[in-house]
Amino acid sequence: MSSSQTTLRTQPRTRPTRQKRNQVGYGLAVIAACAVIGILLGGIKAPLAIKWLFGIAFGFVLQRSRFCFTASLRDPVLTGSTSITRAVIIAFILATIGFSALQIGPYLAGQTVPGNINPVGIHTAVGATMFGIGMVIAGGCASGTLMRMGEGFLLQWLVIIFFVAGSLLGAFHFGWWETHFIASSPNVFLPQVLGYPLAFFGQLVLLGLLYLLALRWEYRKL
Amino acid sequence: MAEFRLDAMGEACPVPLLRAEKKMKELKVGDILIVEIDHSCAMKNVPEWARKMGHNVELEEIEEGHWEIIIEKTN
Amino acid sequence: MSQLKEQTSAFWKAVLKDPMPYWLGAIILAFLNVIHFAQFKSPWGITSAFAHWGAWVWQRLGGTPESWAYYADNAKNLSALKAGFVQDGGSLLDVGIIAGALIATLLASQFRIKKIKSVRQALAGAVGGLLMGYGARIAFGCNIGAFFSGIASMSLHGWVYLVFIFVGAYLGSKILAKYLL
Repeated sequence: MSSSQTTLRTQPRTRPTRQKRNQVGYGLAVIAACAVIGILLGGIKAPLAIKWLFGIAFGFVLQRSRFCFTASLRDPVLTGSTSITRAVIIAFILATIGFSALQIGPYLAGQTVPGNINPVGIHTAVGATMFGIGMVIAGGCASGTLMRMGEGFLLQWLVIIFFVAGSLLGAFHFGWWETHFIASSPNVFLPQVLGYPLAFFGQLVLLGLLYLLALRWEYRKL
Repeated sequence: MAEFRLDAMGEACPVPLLRAEKKMKELKVGDILIVEIDHSCAMKNVPEWARKMGHNVELEEIEEGHWEIIIEKTN
Repeated sequence: MSQLKEQTSAFWKAVLKDPMPYWLGAIILAFLNVIHFAQFKSPWGITSAFAHWGAWVWQRLGGTPESWAYYADNAKNLSALKAGFVQDGGSLLDVGIIAGALIATLLASQFRIKKIKSVRQALAGAVGGLLMGYGARIAFGCNIGAFFSGIASMSLHGWVYLVFIFVGAYLGSKILAKYLL
């Protein structure tokens, strides 16, 4: 690639553009290494290999689309852009529909409903606020940190060390939070409170409204 | 028709975008701003922002994982 | 012939180099999360494994995390702690994310070691990491486990998480604009 492809520059680049290295070979080598690891894990227990494959798929898609949950929450305020925010809302709508298909059976049968349904209380508010501050100043949340480690950012290799240390401290203090807040906080599966139709369709409508709100925010008069 | 450079190498999101935004305000219509970045998300969100503002934008990969975003101020 | 070559190279550029639109990433991530849920009876999460990583190191250093309520009172956490890294699916998934992102970057020929720019950036990263780690433990997850998977599970804690992650992001943005810009 030569700089002749750009037309806006007023003067040609002073520094010569050196031939870019093609890294596809390294990429294929890493794929081969990952496949070997997958086979070894499969030899221990098949679900381990499946988890490994899921991780690779998540990482690949996160990087290819530059998906960033941090940006989805930060950019509306900081830059006024909501393109990632709207993508996140789309993901939530689709996942709600998919999850619901897996939850409705156990729900109707009166069994424990699967899914991430956890106690809600003061600890949720405190934890989420801490997480929100942390992800913006560290330049990425958990998925963003892992993805950028793969992209070669040394900063994120530093962040993960403190992320793990913070997690350990959180686990250490968890007993205190449990006694004071979590033990008295309920697990609230919304369909159990609102009824399935209202919870399900209400959530989809709410997410839809958030989408429209984000769209208006993006194209508001500045 | 002056050309300005902005070195945002090593900066993480959203710093390159915020600095480009600030710098663009100082430029006159017709001026060119070249933003140098190595953050792989900024190569997507800075051009997206500049296009939304109606400027002319080009993206060039200088080296592997190192880009220059060339923005012509149009308004 | 050269036209064909040009078309082929344009095709590979589109597939391997040009970023995917955000909405397409959203659709694929939602789909992957749903099949993860179907396969493992629990949705995608990331940060639980981070606590185990810390606990394994802590054990090496002579600590006894298994006596903490977080492990002692929770059978799932305790069994993950006892199983160890290679037997912990969550840990493997997390390392897989790093590997997947590395593969994507290399196939795009965009890999580059990016150095830390300043002490200030490192400090912000360290403080941010600590806040995220602690916050995710007490909020029952991160932007994936509590936010994405929590809301999609129609759990109230996911929605409360949304409100306060937004508050946190707002505060974080103020700090960033003041000290990191």
